[in-house]
Amino acid sequence: MKQDVLLCGVGGQGILSMAYVIDYSAMEAGYSLKQPEVHGMSQRGGAVQAHIRVSDKPIASELIPLGQAELILSLEPLESLRYLQYLSAENGCVITDITPFVNISDYPELSSIYGQLLQLPSVLLVNGAHLARKAGSPKAQNMILLGAASTRLPYPVNVLEKHVAELFARKSERLVHVNMNAFRTGCAVSQFHQALRQAGVADASISRVLPWLDFEPWPVPEPVVQAWIAFFQDPAGCAATEGLWRSELILPLEEEAPRKLREGD
Amino acid sequence: MKEMNRLILMGDEAVARGAIDAGISGAYAYPGTPSTEIFEYIHDLSGRDGLEIHARWSTNEKVAYEEALGMSYAGRRTIVSFKHVGLNVAADPFISSTISGVHGGLLVVVADDPSMHSSQNEQDSRFYAKFSQIVCFEPPDQQQAYEMAREALDLSEKLRMPVMLRLVTRLAHSRSIVTLSEPRKQNRASYCPDTSWWTLLPSNARRGFDRLLHKQAELRAFSEEHASNQLSISGAGKPGIIASGIASGYVREVLGDRLSEYNFLTVGVYPLPVEKIKQLVKASSEVWTMEDGYPLIEQQLTGDGLHTNARIRGKMSGDLPRSGELTPDLVKSAFGVPASRGLRLAGSAPGLPARPPLLCEGCPHSDTFEIIREATRGYPDIRVMGDIGCYTLGFYKPHEGLHSCICMGASIGMASGVSHAGFGPVFCVIGDSTFTHSGLTPLLDAARENTNIKVFVLDNSIVAMTGGQPTMVTDQAMVQIVAGLGVPAEHIKVIKPLPRSLEENVKVVRQEIEYHGLSVIISRRECVTYYKEIKTAQRNREGELR
Repeated sequence: MKQDVLLCGVGGQGILSMAYVIDYSAMEAGYSLKQPEVHGMSQRGGAVQAHIRVSDKPIASELIPLGQAELILSLEPLESLRYLQYLSAENGCVITDITPFVNISDYPELSSIYGQLLQLPSVLLVNGAHLARKAGSPKAQNMILLGAASTRLPYPVNVLEKHVAELFARKSERLVHVNMNAFRTGCAVSQFHQALRQAGVADASISRVLPWLDFEPWPVPEPVVQAWIAFFQDPAGCAATEGLWRSELILPLEEEAPRKLREGD
Repeated sequence: MKEMNRLILMGDEAVARGAIDAGISGAYAYPGTPSTEIFEYIHDLSGRDGLEIHARWSTNEKVAYEEALGMSYAGRRTIVSFKHVGLNVAADPFISSTISGVHGGLLVVVADDPSMHSSQNEQDSRFYAKFSQIVCFEPPDQQQAYEMAREALDLSEKLRMPVMLRLVTRLAHSRSIVTLSEPRKQNRASYCPDTSWWTLLPSNARRGFDRLLHKQAELRAFSEEHASNQLSISGAGKPGIIASGIASGYVREVLGDRLSEYNFLTVGVYPLPVEKIKQLVKASSEVWTMEDGYPLIEQQLTGDGLHTNARIRGKMSGDLPRSGELTPDLVKSAFGVPASRGLRLAGSAPGLPARPPLLCEGCPHSDTFEIIREATRGYPDIRVMGDIGCYTLGFYKPHEGLHSCICMGASIGMASGVSHAGFGPVFCVIGDSTFTHSGLTPLLDAARENTNIKVFVLDNSIVAMTGGQPTMVTDQAMVQIVAGLGVPAEHIKVIKPLPRSLEENVKVVRQEIEYHGLSVIISRRECVTYYKEIKTAQRNREGELR
């Protein structure tokens, strides 16, 4: 077992908390671990990244070599593109929040960023900002994204959950609750995405819709998953997704929703 | 349950933990990236589970070093830690303590910053160890960082000299699993036996220097035998590699099984193991030097270009970049291992805009820069000498309100120099912590001469850039300290930099511009990012007074 993951975002978004949960889950699984991160000046709203290298053998180097990361897990869409040179061309996947963090004057057009992301062979776009607010705090965006990566990480969900709880237990009961909610919501995203992929739906199609679905902190019921699979397998369904980006409507996750969307209700 | 003897630690924390488990009684430091977390780890643990370690931030690195040296004088073990440029500040006591020697073990940890992630230069502290002629450890990973910190304190006490441990950013700020060993008890306080060792009058210092020179053979023997300086010769005529610290990991990662085709020497302890190097050079067709930082090993091997009989490759030969940190990808390209280009998008993806660090939303420094801009409008060419802290970011847009930054405290001295050259008034900005670190003495100079400079002390009540450490002096105490240096009360102004007070603040500054002499304007408002920490510190101070 060997997995290189690159976490990225903007200083202050909670990248190191995500790293904490993965680190401790890796240790619990008996793996070796190297996790370099950025401190100091960059934390003032600059680009921040952490490398997480996990293996069942000793790891010699701190840094992920170019082209070897299996996963880029990003809290910000522009930042997710900044590190593509680290992503494996064979099996690399990008999971990113779609919510822009605009603190520079030359921030590119969002449509061009999303356009580039949707070209990737393996990509999952997540509306972390919306789901985090729903889970109880906009700051819990990082735990939404961590959950959204859960099926791609080699640790059982209950182990990840345990370390989420441990991390926030030092702060308050309420924060444990909010972040656990957020993490579980993210897990629901991850499992939904995995089910659709396994049914043969392309990532780019899923990612056009998934940010506008209203996930809960529990798995999406099987009939709903099946209804969405049927929707994506129908060419008329895929065509119906085009308008979603512009409308920014949040769709409920229910069996009826795909039908309504297809019929333009 | 976490096993208590296995922890996930950053390189910084591993060193700190090693020092704790080696029985230190004191930890001294001034915050600076990438070294800050060394002290913070000790500070957080001291007082818990009966662990009694004196751990308070010091005013600057020189003071930290002297406090540590005093603890050592009194027979107890101690660690002093700072970033590479911090050692410049502490260099005076550091070098002389190699002459005096130590009593309780003294570990000097210096965290270098190749690539200048958060620094103004990328100087390599191994040169300090070399020219002061002491032992320097350079751990390749977190486990070794822990073990070497422990060993360094034992060694320091045995050799009666300070011992250095050098980290680089990439190890200092990287986490891994560390297995701890049984902690050692602290020393009891005991005076050093011979005060003549510690009183560096020329007659004593000459004897001390001789002692240092005499120890060199022992140091070389130690280094030659040390397990971290490991030589494996795979065969005569094969290419050789010398790799120090984390560079040895990069070499292992990049070459993998192919490493067996090379003669390989790892370096974890200095002075360099000269005999092992000679063996390697003799057996090898060429020798690669891999080091994160300056080409210290390479320059010694080539004698700065004087020796031409061996083929030495590295940064001086042009095979690796001369500046910036070493990475596995650079090692790859040096050895001709094809590097992956990673994932490329079809078509020509446009370059991404950079996202440089910025002052936070609502930061008081932004308002101070605004005040300075407005107040100096209409005056020809007023320059603002800058200093080290968050406010150095005032150099960038939208402020573009800072015209120099050299080192801690330089703003005031440089402003005076510019004024002596005939310009005036000259402005300077310096944060509260930088001011107490190195701004008091240049302000004393300016007060003595009544130099026509306008010193803005940006008092945000915290050390923000390095993560919110407590400041030494703030609020009314700052006014008192400035007055105590001889600045007349009528030219010490306190303003509160808020957007709504812009006009009245500009008026205050304009008034001082019209005065030909020294003014200190204390621009005082709490840091927005660490507001909660500041309020807690204020309550604690009031509690202490009661």
